Amino acid sequence: MSNIIEIKKLRKVYGDGVELVALDDVDLVIKAGEFLSIVGPSGSGKSTLLNMLGLLDSPTSGDMWLRGQNISRASSKERARLRNKELGFIFQYHHLLPEFTSVENVMMPLMIAGVAKGKARKRAIELLESVGIGDRLKNRPTQLSGGQNQRVAVARALANHPSIVIGDEPTGNLDTKSSDMIYELLRKLNRETNQTFILVTHDMDMAEKTDRILRLVDGKIVCEMLREGDHFITHDLCELEHQ
Amino acid sequence: MFELTVARKHIVSNPKMVLFTVLSVALAVGVIVVMMGLMQGYREEIISSTVENNPHITVDPKEDEDYIYLYRTLSSQIWQYPNVVAVSPRLQGQAGAKYKDQVEGVSFIGADPFKEDSLMNVQDDLLWGDYYELISSRHSVIVGSELAEDLELKPGDDFYLIRKDVKIKVTPAGFIRTGTNFDQTLVYLPLETAQDLLNEGDVVSQVGVRLSDIYSASIITDDLNSRTSYDAQSWQDKSRDVLDLLDIQKIIMYIFYLLIFVIAGFGVANTMIMMVSRRTREIGIMMAMGTTQLSIVKIFLAESLILGPPSALFGCALSYVTAKLIEAYPIEVPSEVYMVSKMTVALTPEIYAYAVVFALAVNFVAGIYPAYKASKLDPVEAIATE
Repeated sequence: MSNIIEIKKLRKVYGDGVELVALDDVDLVIKAGEFLSIVGPSGSGKSTLLNMLGLLDSPTSGDMWLRGQNISRASSKERARLRNKELGFIFQYHHLLPEFTSVENVMMPLMIAGVAKGKARKRAIELLESVGIGDRLKNRPTQLSGGQNQRVAVARALANHPSIVIGDEPTGNLDTKSSDMIYELLRKLNRETNQTFILVTHDMDMAEKTDRILRLVDGKIVCEMLREGDHFITHDLCELEHQ
Repeated sequence: MFELTVARKHIVSNPKMVLFTVLSVALAVGVIVVMMGLMQGYREEIISSTVENNPHITVDPKEDEDYIYLYRTLSSQIWQYPNVVAVSPRLQGQAGAKYKDQVEGVSFIGADPFKEDSLMNVQDDLLWGDYYELISSRHSVIVGSELAEDLELKPGDDFYLIRKDVKIKVTPAGFIRTGTNFDQTLVYLPLETAQDLLNEGDVVSQVGVRLSDIYSASIITDDLNSRTSYDAQSWQDKSRDVLDLLDIQKIIMYIFYLLIFVIAGFGVANTMIMMVSRRTREIGIMMAMGTTQLSIVKIFLAESLILGPPSALFGCALSYVTAKLIEAYPIEVPSEVYMVSKMTVALTPEIYAYAVVFALAVNFVAGIYPAYKASKLDPVEAIATE
């Protein structure tokens, strides 16, 4: 398995006057096909790390490689292109475009990529069916439940066959049943397509279902846990949140 | 182009905002078109009344001479020019008219009826009578309607034309009403009779020319002036003052249109800024999906541009109706001041074209800033917006 993402001494500092170090020289290697989670208290920098990984934001210093290509100083246009082609986002709130139907929402990344409307529509319908919501093609987000909308959001994230899918608390707004359903869906996709899944979550139950848990505190990775079978092996100084 | 799809969707989902934008530009367009139409109408009225009541070109004697002697040669020379439809050598002068005890001052025009009628449409302005009688009868004249009244002249009454020691008895062959102050002093005579009255021989004082295209007048006068030493003047030379005034007025109006443009632009920009503001989170999501900054600009510019043509259409419809109303309820204008007697609105195709261009321009310019600001949003912050 090759490295899909590699970051070295990634640093993000905010602040006019009082400096806030959001990411403190983080090193990380992620292999293709991994299904990992990032956990940590609020303010730990997990959202910032996610924004870096998702190319929504640029680091203050440090390097990042995507598929072996150094993209640390990529232009805004190049980052947009990569976001469209290589990345898929699932947000806590579905963030679907409210005036568009499910199909139209899923078609959007495809159309941005320049895919013809007919082809885009076909793929969108395929995706919506694969996430189990093929009967809600013409509905707008306001006409669907939280779980249904999140499924549309998943389908949208997958539209351009991204190498990496990033979820920022993807089940944060959902009830347990929908939560589990979304998790199962993501897991299934990971196994079938070998796409890399990076999930930020505050829900340790969800985190423990992934294969690798990275714990962030004050902008640094303080703990890493890898799955072996049914349990986790910890590295470095780690404290298990619960037994 | 997906940007158009998104722009269309935005417009369709926000009918109220769209309506406001379209209405404000439509109103601006309407006002400008009507104003342009009024200006154009005024200009056309002035030109046509100037041109109707005067020859398009007048050729006066050489500088050191009082009369034109070789008028036949001059006439044939003038006929060589294109667009010439009438050439009338005329002898003009002052005389006195005496009928019984009434004496009035007269400005007479001696000319060949065929030629003069082609030049000035004399026959059409007659209240009664026949101008062409002057061909067969050397002592027939046409008298201005108000002059006739002042002399208490009736059809059939002979009267005398007196100039220095020449006294000629004449008979009215008709009365003329031109609608100008000529009616108070005008007498048409056969050319030979006028020459008798003036006693300077076979001369004329002016050659009048009528053209099929009034705008070729200056080219012809320029040529005549360079080739001969006669003094040729076009109708434009003679109405120079009025035309200059109209040109100055035009410039002032352009400033006015610019102001309207700016005001309408603010309205559109305001609406677009609001649109962008409401859609901040959406813009962030679009960026997360990989929409480039340029695409964002395109989307919002497309939104304001798409509204251009409907605005122009409504504006033109509005102005058309307004123009018809203005013309249907005649607003009287004091003719001494304005030189015309009513307000006309001349809506030419060019004016409508300006309207469309204006609407598109306003929408484009006003839409640039909001679209630019939208593209500069930080995706992370935008997504986090409530």
